[in-house]
Amino acid sequence: MGPPLKCAAATKRLVTRHYLDGRYVRHYGKTAWVTSGAPVELLKALGFFVLYPENHGALCGARRAAEALCRESEAAGYSSDICSYARTDLGSLLSGRTPVGRLPRPDVLVCCTNICQTVLAWYRVLSDHFNAPLLVVDTPFLYAEAPPHAKAYVLAQIEAMVEPLERIAGRSLNQDRLKRTVKYSRDAAELWNRITEMGRRKPAPLTAFDQFIHMAPIVEMRGDSRTVDFYAAMLRELEERARLGIGAVQRERARLVWDNLPVWHQLRFLSEFFAEKGAAVVAATYTKAWGELAPLLQESQPFEAMADTYLHVLLNRGTGSKLDTIRALVKEFDADGVVFHSDRSCKPYSIGQMGQRDSVVRQDGIPALLLEADHNDPRSWSRSQNINRLEAFMEVVAR
Amino acid sequence: MVGTAKVRDNSRAAPIPGRQQTMERFREQGGRIAAVLPIHYPRALLRAHRILPVEIWGPAQAFTPLADSRLQSYICPLARNALDFLLREGARRVDMVLVPHTCDSLQGLGSLLLDQAHLDRPTLNFYLPRGAGDASVDYLAAEIRSLSAALSRISGRSPREEELIECVMLEEEADSLLSELLGARPRLPLPDHTFYRVVRSREYLPAEDFISSANGVLAGRTSLGAPERLPILLSGIVPEPMEIFDALAGFGAFAAACDLACASRRLYPGGKSGDPFRRMAESLLGAPPDFTRGSAIRDRVRYLRANADKSGARGVLFYPVKFCEPELFDLPLLRKGLDGAGLASTVIEAPLHPHLSQVLVPRDPGPPPRPGGVTPAGALPER
Repeated sequence: MGPPLKCAAATKRLVTRHYLDGRYVRHYGKTAWVTSGAPVELLKALGFFVLYPENHGALCGARRAAEALCRESEAAGYSSDICSYARTDLGSLLSGRTPVGRLPRPDVLVCCTNICQTVLAWYRVLSDHFNAPLLVVDTPFLYAEAPPHAKAYVLAQIEAMVEPLERIAGRSLNQDRLKRTVKYSRDAAELWNRITEMGRRKPAPLTAFDQFIHMAPIVEMRGDSRTVDFYAAMLRELEERARLGIGAVQRERARLVWDNLPVWHQLRFLSEFFAEKGAAVVAATYTKAWGELAPLLQESQPFEAMADTYLHVLLNRGTGSKLDTIRALVKEFDADGVVFHSDRSCKPYSIGQMGQRDSVVRQDGIPALLLEADHNDPRSWSRSQNINRLEAFMEVVAR
Repeated sequence: MVGTAKVRDNSRAAPIPGRQQTMERFREQGGRIAAVLPIHYPRALLRAHRILPVEIWGPAQAFTPLADSRLQSYICPLARNALDFLLREGARRVDMVLVPHTCDSLQGLGSLLLDQAHLDRPTLNFYLPRGAGDASVDYLAAEIRSLSAALSRISGRSPREEELIECVMLEEEADSLLSELLGARPRLPLPDHTFYRVVRSREYLPAEDFISSANGVLAGRTSLGAPERLPILLSGIVPEPMEIFDALAGFGAFAAACDLACASRRLYPGGKSGDPFRRMAESLLGAPPDFTRGSAIRDRVRYLRANADKSGARGVLFYPVKFCEPELFDLPLLRKGLDGAGLASTVIEAPLHPHLSQVLVPRDPGPPPRPGGVTPAGALPER
């Protein structure tokens, strides 16, 4: 592998600081638990501390704490067939255990259905557990173009959230602050987009595995000037690496695209496996999703901008749109193959992958692998079987 | 004391035609057929376009090689079975396919049918909002209008407002009878199989035929005496495989009430608006609480308790479909809520797909498997 990114320490500091803030927030403010695709700008503008259970789940997965927490929730009756982020988080709630010390209790829950319907099921459980109000932003799934009534519906819901959120926050929404927050979100998303596009360089100065690690701020700290500063610094580092020809993988010989969530518990194994083969995973649909909608976030009309942006996220679009995205990544990043992570825990992301894989292989002539795993639950990872598949795949890619 | 007496079918209802026969007859009258996936959609709208909705909830225990090449093993078997059926022959038997957005699996199926399956029949999707309030009604009314425009391209018709209202009223009458039928269950001396065959004929019979059939069954109502069988409440998506009823009967129990997505979760109250689109939206959004509309779990508990009280059910059997995430999420809290009310409950995953589940196979030979919380008969707490 190439030399590690220097910004890793800053990411760790930022994330640690975020969770540390959460421990003391009850003394000075209110807390909202939100889904990763929620219009967080409104909450930030109202001064909420925002916490993302999905990110907490991912953090538990990356630190290999997820399995024990999943077992806790399963012992309480939650099926092993439900999302492992949810099982991890519910296990953490039920046991009180978390690698971050302590999570602040939510004063409100905000759930946006643009990433899956699972979050709605999950947040209903949280609402019951905490006896906390649940605000839902329901985003009709886009099989094709968004119809005008879908946009109007999302806009109406975001506007209707203002009154209850103001009541909970104990303060009125300041429009200038909201616009500023939207701008910070857009600036961070634009920088993140440029960061992910650095993978086009040869050799790629970062891999998708780096992106998975460094995406935490764009997911859980949008609308914050510190996030903008952090990504500006990260981009400078990557540009410098690109200028010096420093690759994330030494002697890069093959380039791959990753589809779906990371396998958090195998991040190190997978990054090292591909690096040993001289393969750089240069792009991922998952990380791209956090930057591609930056142009829609225009602060001049913040409510319309939020409605438009959060309605159009990758996971709220059809299987055809995702295939287009994969093909565009293959082309733009000059990739030699695609790894489809067939994620047992993320059904909406995974449905359609078998057809997408066929299209990539048969129509485009690009090797593609369906890798069976689960983003957080290591019990769904079959090491020897997957190594065999990965080895065989890399032989095809290297031809 | 609960016995295990056999229940004879004393129904006065005429035999119910099957799906194929119903489709053929409707076609002969110049109508079209739509294959419709679960759960909620505006039936009246389709009828106004002279399209008969015939719902796909199975078939259970089917081998699904065509779907298996397109869907991973952990995807809902109901979606898998439906996809295989449509790819194999089902699509050719109908004029269009409608996939309501019910959950992540059906969302994916709807998208896959459009983008990958390339059926030679039009596929339409329909989004049901998750929530209440004016914004949801406004959205849903607009979504139904949009669906109507898409249907017009297939049916070649643009139903007049009077036609729409006429269809809405007819469906409301059928919904009201379905409600009466389910409410009268403890007083209907029918085996569960027969009763649910009538209830589930709402999945494909034209409303006018269902009304006639339901009235026939309701005419056989008896006065409510002490139950000869143990009344339980059956909750889940669909009672498939229907052998679940044989298992219940074997324990001297019967489904006195239900909370099934294919039945009682679709007890739509009549709408209020004079505008037929808005009225259909109001009606769909007024159905009993269920996950597809994001209902709070405590509302579901309240509904189940009220339903059990009304029917005299002494326990709840949850019969969820394997991999049905939204249903599985609710179970622990639903069971806790019921337990707090002294209602026993248990869960048996419905093995809709032959490859999937070995959950009902005992690991060691011994007595036949029994649903834990509702057995042995008579062991439930007195209420």
